[in-house]
Amino acid sequence: MEIFYYFCIRMKQSICYISMLLLLLTACRGNNEKTEARVETLDTIPMMVMQIQKCSKLYTAEYHLHKIVTHDDQMKLKGTFLAQEFNITLPFGNRRIAIPMDATLKAYVDFSDFSKKNIRRRGNKIEVVLPDPKVQLTSSKIDHQEIKKQVSILRGNFTDEEMANYEKQGRAAILNDIPKLGIIGMAQESAANTLIPMIMQLGYQEKDITITFRKEFTLDDLPSLLDSKSIAR
Amino acid sequence: MNEIEQTKKEYQAPKTNILGTIGRWLLIICTSIILLIAAIFYFSYRAITNSSASLDVNSDIDVTPTQIESMKQIGEWEFLSIADEEMIDTLRRGFFSDDELIRIYYGNLRLGINMHKAKPHFIQKNKDTLVVTLPPIELLDEDFIDEARTKSFYESGSWDDQTREDMYQRAVAKMKQRCLTSANINSAQQNATRQFFQLMRSMGHENVKIVFE
Repeated sequence: MEIFYYFCIRMKQSICYISMLLLLLTACRGNNEKTEARVETLDTIPMMVMQIQKCSKLYTAEYHLHKIVTHDDQMKLKGTFLAQEFNITLPFGNRRIAIPMDATLKAYVDFSDFSKKNIRRRGNKIEVVLPDPKVQLTSSKIDHQEIKKQVSILRGNFTDEEMANYEKQGRAAILNDIPKLGIIGMAQESAANTLIPMIMQLGYQEKDITITFRKEFTLDDLPSLLDSKSIAR
Repeated sequence: MNEIEQTKKEYQAPKTNILGTIGRWLLIICTSIILLIAAIFYFSYRAITNSSASLDVNSDIDVTPTQIESMKQIGEWEFLSIADEEMIDTLRRGFFSDDELIRIYYGNLRLGINMHKAKPHFIQKNKDTLVVTLPPIELLDEDFIDEARTKSFYESGSWDDQTREDMYQRAVAKMKQRCLTSANINSAQQNATRQFFQLMRSMGHENVKIVFE
């Protein structure tokens, strides 16, 4: 009993010291984490925008493209624990979807800046200088009847937002494939086939009509114009 | 008496030294245990707060080829471009609650003339005046909605693909009703007149008359 009493007296001082030490440790940890309230702005008022623009574009070629957008996903648990990363595939099954979509591309020549400087006449001959045709995706259509889905029983069905996201990605993929399609050449030929009959009605012979396409050079084309030996180093 | 008291003190002295030694060791051990527990709690808390876990579902599409189905030469001259957005919703009434799907469609209506519909000699000279007879202004392409840009605004309940197809057709009708107005057609016609006038003048013809079929 006396030992216990003596121990309690000694502990009083020790408890004070230990409490001060614990306070010191917790104070030094410091809380630099600032919880940022993420405020997402939701545009709950739909904007129905109608923009009207006057223009002068001669569409000379049309291309119908077809693409099947596919998606396959599995639910995974990702994260870190004790500085170790983990990636576990959950046994809930996977989902698959195939969305067929059709897109229409049109190549056009922009006549908005067309003026006398685009015409060169030498006697009976006439040369029309046009800007290079540009390609535009004018429409896209989803074949809803042919959409195929496979969803595991433990997974939720594809939402409308998810499907819209996949369709948007498919559209972007089509735009990325445009340079590989080589459709500018046909557009130029078609522009000539449209304009030459019109110019012939102005009194020119077909053999005297020349349609030339001018590339609008940008800063990106500058390296191709410069001779490598002429660049000062 | 002094000897008894002296003896008593001598007898008590060892007892005090034993108590101090045992108490000191107890103190050290208890302090060490408390510090150890505190350290374990502290590092466990740090480990847990620095850990994270989340459910991840890949949302990227697979790489698939783009196929050209057809290509053809056309001669559509656009004079007025109308970019439109339409919000289409559909409602299904249920016993306990209603299901609703709202989508926003984007389209671009192009008004102009189809040069392939022009008469063979649509440019004729009438004395010193060049008369250009253009085909009427029309909607150049019935496929003007970019459905791949459609935004899903709100969805409750599950909806089949036929519903989406019906909503698309309603969007087409709504955009036509909004954009194919006489004002827009007149505006396109005026722009066509102006553009062809400038085109003919740049080719050296001063007196030009533009008419529509």
